[in-house]
Amino acid sequence: MRTRSLVGVFVLAGFLAFVPSGWVQAQTIKIGINAPLTGDIPKVGEGTKFAAQMWLEDVKAAGGLTVGGKKVPVELVIEDNESKAESAVKAATKMITEDEVLVMVGPQASKQAIPAGGIANNYKTPMVTPWSTNPDATKDRPYVFRACFLDPFQGPVLANFITEQFKFAKAAVLYDVASDYPKGLAEFFKMAWERLHGPGSVVAYESFTTKDTDFSSQLTKIKNSGAQVLFTPQYYNEVALIVQQAHQLGWKNPIVGSDSWGSAETVSLCGKDCYGLFFSTHYAAAGATGATKEFIIRYQRKHGYVPDDVAALTWDAMGLVQKAIQDTGGLTGDLKKDRDNVRSALSQIKNFKGITGDMTFSGGGDPSKCAVIVQISDKGEFEFYKSACP
Amino acid sequence: MRRYFRTPFSRVPLLGWLAGILIAVALERLAGAPLALALGLTKVPVLFGFVIMLKKPALIPSAVLYVLLIYAAPTAVVTRLSISPANRLAAWLVRLPMAIPVAVHLGLLYAALHIWAEISDYRVLVLKLTLIAVMVTLSLNVINGYMGEFSCSHPGFMAIGAYFASVFTVGLFVNDQFFGAVFLPQALGPFLFPIALILGGFLASFGALAVAIPSFRTRGDYLAIISLAFLFIVKSLIENLEFVRGPRGLSGQPDWATLPTVFLWTVLCVWSINNFVRSTVGKALNAVRDNEMAAGAMTVDTRRTKIVAFLFAAFWAGVAGGLFAHVLRYVNPSTFGIQKLAEVLAMVYFGGLNSVYGSIVGAVSISLLGEALRPLEIFKWIIIPLLLILVMIYRPTGLIAFKDLDVTALLQPKRKPEEEA
Repeated sequence: MRTRSLVGVFVLAGFLAFVPSGWVQAQTIKIGINAPLTGDIPKVGEGTKFAAQMWLEDVKAAGGLTVGGKKVPVELVIEDNESKAESAVKAATKMITEDEVLVMVGPQASKQAIPAGGIANNYKTPMVTPWSTNPDATKDRPYVFRACFLDPFQGPVLANFITEQFKFAKAAVLYDVASDYPKGLAEFFKMAWERLHGPGSVVAYESFTTKDTDFSSQLTKIKNSGAQVLFTPQYYNEVALIVQQAHQLGWKNPIVGSDSWGSAETVSLCGKDCYGLFFSTHYAAAGATGATKEFIIRYQRKHGYVPDDVAALTWDAMGLVQKAIQDTGGLTGDLKKDRDNVRSALSQIKNFKGITGDMTFSGGGDPSKCAVIVQISDKGEFEFYKSACP
Repeated sequence: MRRYFRTPFSRVPLLGWLAGILIAVALERLAGAPLALALGLTKVPVLFGFVIMLKKPALIPSAVLYVLLIYAAPTAVVTRLSISPANRLAAWLVRLPMAIPVAVHLGLLYAALHIWAEISDYRVLVLKLTLIAVMVTLSLNVINGYMGEFSCSHPGFMAIGAYFASVFTVGLFVNDQFFGAVFLPQALGPFLFPIALILGGFLASFGALAVAIPSFRTRGDYLAIISLAFLFIVKSLIENLEFVRGPRGLSGQPDWATLPTVFLWTVLCVWSINNFVRSTVGKALNAVRDNEMAAGAMTVDTRRTKIVAFLFAAFWAGVAGGLFAHVLRYVNPSTFGIQKLAEVLAMVYFGGLNSVYGSIVGAVSISLLGEALRPLEIFKWIIIPLLLILVMIYRPTGLIAFKDLDVTALLQPKRKPEEEA
C-alpha cells in the first residue's frame, strides 16, 4: 500500500514537471485555414496549405505582423474539412469557438464554403474564401468575402471573348449536371450568349453526370447541331476526355473552357489535343512578371510543381487578410471587436495588388477583379492572351 | 487492484454512474478553465484532450492530467461513495411506474450532456451530429442486423427526409428567392418542425416502398443492388430538381435543431426501435433472418414482416436526415452519396449487428474518433479503417453484437454478490 501511494506521488510529480509554464499568454494573431486536405480534392487542399505556409514563412522572417507599430506573432490553425459540408462546418465552428481565430481563410469549394460561411457569419468572424465562385457563399453575409471573381461575371467574359475573337454566333455547351460549379457556369454562359446572339443561339446544351467517361453521344449531337464553338466548364480530368473524344469524332472548331481548366494536370492528361485552346482563369503562370513570377518560382522550387490557381488565390487571400489586419491600425485584444474591425477593413480594401490581379471591395464581400484569358501554348504552358475587366 | 476497483464498481447502478458524470461535468464547468490554465493549456480541452495531444505532443501530460483530475477522479470518487445511496434510490425508483425512473435517468443524462456541451459551441455541434449518427446507425441496424439483409439506400432515405423538411421549413418560414416570402409566422416554427420531420420520415418510408416491393420477392443480393440503385436515383433526382436548386444545395434552414430537440428525437428513436426489435414483429424479423422458410412454416408472414421493418427503418433515417439538414443549415445532394453510406455501414459493423447497444457504441465511437483524429489528416483514414479491420478479425459481428437493451434491467439497483447467492 505504502509503495503504491509513493509511486502515485512520483507519477504525479513527473507529470507536473512536464507542465510548461504557460501562465503569461503573449498576444498572437491566429488565422484559421479550412482546407480539403483529404477527400475528393486533396490537391486543392495541398495548394492551400502550401501557399498559407509560404505566407507564414514571410511573416515569421519579418519577425511577425506589424500592426499599429507593434510586431505581433502569427499562428496558423490548419484544419482538414475532408471536402465534406458537415466537416467544413465542424472545422469552422472549432477554429472560431475553440482556437479563437481572428480570420478564417477557406473553405475552397462552394459546397463547403456556403455552409461554413453561414457559421462564420453567425459568429461574426470574417472569412475569406479564395476559390468559391458561387454567389450564395457571400450573399447576405457581411462577414464573408472571397478573393476570386464570380460565375455571373465569368460567363459573360467568355461569351464576349468568343464573339470578338472568332466572330461566331452558334455555340454548344457540355457540362456536368450533378456538379454545382459547371452547372452554374454553364447557365450563366448560356444566358450571356443568348443575350448577345438572340434566343436559340446556343444550339446544343448537353449534360452528363459526374464520373462519366464516355461523351460520344453528347459530342455527336453537338457536332451535328452546327455549333461553331464548344464551351465546357469542366475539371481537368474530364477536360482531357472531352477534348480527345471530340477530336476523334472529327470536331475541328475551338473548344473553350473556364477557370477549372487551370490545373497543371490538364495538359499532362490531355497532351497535344489541348494545345492552342483558350480558357478564362484567375492568373497565367507562363510569362508572368513581378510578384506573380516570384511566387511561382518560389513555390516551384519548394514543392516541385507550378502552383495552380488555388494556391495563387490562397496567397492573395492571405495578403488581403494581412492588409485588413494592418489597416485596423492596431489590435484591441478584445477578439470580438478585432473581428469587427478586420471585417470593416476588408470591406474597404481598394486596389489591392494581388498576384491574381487587382482587387477592390466596395462594401460587399465580392471583389471587382479582372479575369484572364489564357491560351495553352505548343509547349503546354498557360500563356497570357488578354485580360477582361468588369 | 481487483479488490479496490472491479468489485466495488461492479455494484454501481446506472443512477450512480450518471450522478458521477454529472458531478464531473459540473466540476469542469466551475473549475475547468482555471485548472486548464494552471496546467499550461490555453483553454479547456474540448474533446477529452485528444486534439491537443495530437497537435502539441509536449502538452500530453497536461492534457492527461486534466482528464484525470476533471473527469476520471471525480467520477470515480462520487460513484464509489454513492454506491449505497444510489442503490437505495434506484431500488425506490424502480418500484414507481416505469416512466418515472426512466425520466429521471434521461433527465440526468441530458443534464450531464448539456453542461458538458455548454462550455463550447463546438461540443454542441459534435454532440448533435453524433446523436444523429446514432439514429441513422440504429435504423440501418434494423435492416442489416435484425433483418440480416444488406441495404445501401439509407443515405437516400436521409436525403429525402432532409430535403422534405428543408423545403417545408424554408418554404413556409423563410424569405427565399425560390419559395417566396414568409408564409407563416416564425413563432409557429418550432411547433411545426416536428411535423416537418415526421412527414419527411413518412416520405422516406414511401420511397422505401419502391425498394421493398420488388426486392422482397426474393432473398439474397437483390436488396443490396436495388437499394444501391435507389440511392443513385434519389441523388440524381435531387440534382435535377431545379426548385431545390439542384447540385448547388439548399441553404437557409432556420436554426430549430437545438440540442434538446435532437436529444429528444434520439431518445424517441432509440426507444421505438428498441421496442420494435423486442416485440413480436422484431422476433419474427429475427426468425426470417435465420431461416425464412422455417419462419414461414411457423406462420410468420415473412414478406409483410420484412416490408414493415424496412419502412420503419426508412422512417427513422428520414427523420435523422431532417435533423441533419437543420443542424448544418445547408443540404446538397452530394452529401448523401457513397461516402455517407460507407460511414454509416462502418458505424453499424463496428458497433455490432443486431444490437441497440452496439449501434450506439459504434456511432459514438466512430464520430468521436473521426473528430479526435482530425489533426492527423490523411493518417486518420488509415487508423479508422485499420481499427475496423481489427474489429472484423477479432469480433466478426462487431463490438457488442446480439445483445438486448433491457431498460428494466438497466435501471435496477445492483445488489451485493452475497445477496445474489
